Amino acid sequence: MKLRNFTATVAAATAAVMLLSGAAAHAACATDDLPGAVNRPGGFPARALTMVVPYGPAGGSGQVAQAMAQAVTDLTGVAINRDHKPGGSGTVGMTAYMATPADGYSVLEHIDDASSAHALDSSRPNPAQDLIPLVTSQITFNQIYIRANETRYTDWDSFVAWVKAQNGKATIANVSKEGSMERVLMKFITDATGMKIQQISFDKGAPRYGSLAGGQVDALFEQPGDVRKFLDSGLFKPILTILKERPSAFAATPSLLDAGLDFEPLYRFRGFFVHKGVPAERVAWLQWAFQKAYCEDSYQDFNESKYMTLIESFRDTAGSRELIANTIGQYRAVYQQMGLDVK
Amino acid sequence: METFSNFIGGTVALFSDPVGVLVFLGGVIGGMLFGAIPGVSMLTLAAILLPFTAHLSAEHGIMLFSVIYCTGVYGGAITAILFNIPGAPENAPTAFDGYPMTQNGRAGKAVGAAVMCSAIGGCLSAVVMMAATAPIAAWAISAFGPPEIFALVFFGLAVAASVGAKTFWKGWLSILAGLTIAVVGLDPVGGIARYDFNMPYLLAGIHFIPTILGFFAVSEIFIQAEKKARGVYRAPKMSVDFPTLAELVAHKIAIIRSIFIGFFCGILPGIGATLAAFMGYNEAVRWSRNRREFGRGKMEGVIASETANNAATGAAMIPLLALGLPGGALTAMMVGVFQMHDMEPGPLVFLNSADLVWVVFAAMFFANLSILLIGYLETRTIINLLRVPFQFLAPLILLLATVGAYAVRGLTVDIIAMFVAGVVGFFLRRSGYSVAGIVLGLILGKIGEQTFAQAMQMLHFEWSGFIGRPIALVLLIAGFITLFASIYRAFFKKSAGGAGPA
Repeated sequence: MKLRNFTATVAAATAAVMLLSGAAAHAACATDDLPGAVNRPGGFPARALTMVVPYGPAGGSGQVAQAMAQAVTDLTGVAINRDHKPGGSGTVGMTAYMATPADGYSVLEHIDDASSAHALDSSRPNPAQDLIPLVTSQITFNQIYIRANETRYTDWDSFVAWVKAQNGKATIANVSKEGSMERVLMKFITDATGMKIQQISFDKGAPRYGSLAGGQVDALFEQPGDVRKFLDSGLFKPILTILKERPSAFAATPSLLDAGLDFEPLYRFRGFFVHKGVPAERVAWLQWAFQKAYCEDSYQDFNESKYMTLIESFRDTAGSRELIANTIGQYRAVYQQMGLDVK
Repeated sequence: METFSNFIGGTVALFSDPVGVLVFLGGVIGGMLFGAIPGVSMLTLAAILLPFTAHLSAEHGIMLFSVIYCTGVYGGAITAILFNIPGAPENAPTAFDGYPMTQNGRAGKAVGAAVMCSAIGGCLSAVVMMAATAPIAAWAISAFGPPEIFALVFFGLAVAASVGAKTFWKGWLSILAGLTIAVVGLDPVGGIARYDFNMPYLLAGIHFIPTILGFFAVSEIFIQAEKKARGVYRAPKMSVDFPTLAELVAHKIAIIRSIFIGFFCGILPGIGATLAAFMGYNEAVRWSRNRREFGRGKMEGVIASETANNAATGAAMIPLLALGLPGGALTAMMVGVFQMHDMEPGPLVFLNSADLVWVVFAAMFFANLSILLIGYLETRTIINLLRVPFQFLAPLILLLATVGAYAVRGLTVDIIAMFVAGVVGFFLRRSGYSVAGIVLGLILGKIGEQTFAQAMQMLHFEWSGFIGRPIALVLLIAGFITLFASIYRAFFKKSAGGAGPA
């Protein structure tokens, strides 16, 4: 009941409907109307930019950083050096970035973890207020997967029934760190269904996917872009889409509403930021470069390969701030409900 | 027979394409050079090249990375042997005996053993990879989950306690020190901060590469500087004598054992060549009748380590190609190369791009084979670095090590960690503790903690769950037997060998 109350109060604040409204293909791209070239203000940038990436080069964040850096360079001719500073679930990269000069030459790539970290501890930077979002370039949703050749259960309903029969012995591979999006969503699902399922935390993708492929766990919680190769090869199949409506690419997979689950979904999103104190004309140029680069063919192809076009991935500065603010509010309410020490 | 004809087809396709040959040679030489230079690694080269692979064909791009992987793993052995600076973590155990061999005037033998055994391990690994990629990958991921990997780590730690320390207690204290360092930072399962002292950079934990550079390279420079100051410094003797065939044949058991170990570790997602090298070395120590000779310049140590780490290269391609599961950082970057060409590694690659797969397989085989020739020529030249006077070489090594420590994650804390490890290592090595044990505790501790927590979650926090998993049970029993045997040797059979090698 509490969950219902909670979801009702935050429902209006979420961007779920907005997100789904952009489900159309990217033939007409969000920033097509922006000019193809903009004069550099006072010669800025006169040298290469540095993009601080708080994760390693091979993961989802590393890949989006590379794709966006390439697209900006193709568009503007300005080189971007990527400086990967992994560790501490993004904290190390954020700390390193905050120590760089506010001159516009350093930009930060970050994901929704920065928002949830601020929600739990307000002394951590608020990406919407302590930084200026240049663009949000990836927004995606979550799904639950099983092996395609699984015989013990074949769809969401039979999976729920099977898990309940295991009396807490069933397992799901996850990134179930304290306060993570995955753990929060799993709490919503287990509360709503009455399932008891053991979450096995894998912080790296390959062992996580291998655990399902090898039968070490019974299910997997993940975003579709990260397991696309397993979906395309027929190894995995989704049994639940954690969205209120079914995206066209997963028309046969039940959504939250189909499964009778009434809560607001949380999203994984990635974007690019710059210091708050950067001169306004430099911020304006960077906003143009990163937002326009979003619609470069190379970046759109990249997003499409990652299933990042199933819901609208683009947010400009104002849209990113709204998305982040809503997300922080959502997480904070959930954390309080979960009894976590919200500072 | 079909495998052989596919291999011939891949070989012909590789060597009949001039651009392919150029890419192959570039990868072989680049991998060796970047692997050999401390401070950079094959990962550095791969990261630099990654965007450019978009301009290559898929075949050339993926082949380039696989060749760099093979030769890069070997390249780091050179500096490990000559200067006690492992070019990469998987070469760290090579330094345990390789560097003492250099000090004893047997650098040529050590480098030669590394060249030949890297080639042997890599080539055989490539052959198995060609023959049985799909079934092995499927077996590995179904048979080895977190409980089995934890049990393997426990077994490794039990063996490692006898590596390099003067006494039983010093061996275990070294391992425990490494395990303690491993818990700094966020815990790998719950994300809880530990020992960060409110310093955000410590949340990233202490990385093992700066620690290796500190314990091995920096502390060695301090030790040699002290000898120089006291006037007892002896420059390493030059030697370009390669090991004879008879010497290699005499170590055939160690080679075969390391091939199995390397291959086995390589196919486990997220484990790879580093654990392979340490496990290969540990097992060589464990099965040796002359344990005390390890760490003092025993060729078998170099052979075991270098065979195992190269045997892991072909094996690591198995989960990548068959299932799309990268085993380490370089194979993860290879996924990026696949994706740049609108491909995904996994079962469909064998169906949709069989030609590509066989060119890559052939290239990996010949890359490992080329280690023999190019490694021989390289050794004849690079070994002359030993002629450089210490006062010029030491600052250069310190500079390269500093760059190497920083290059891992771009964090200043890694440079600090390296110098702290250097100072600590300087004193520990004088007092009979094992810096190898500390490094091994650090590397295995991170893997072990994570897989232990995952195993307990999977087993619903019931220890008895291990009994129901035969492979895990066997490895745990082997670990306990090793542990009790080392206690027995230390306390009841001191005259027959003590606690292990110095």
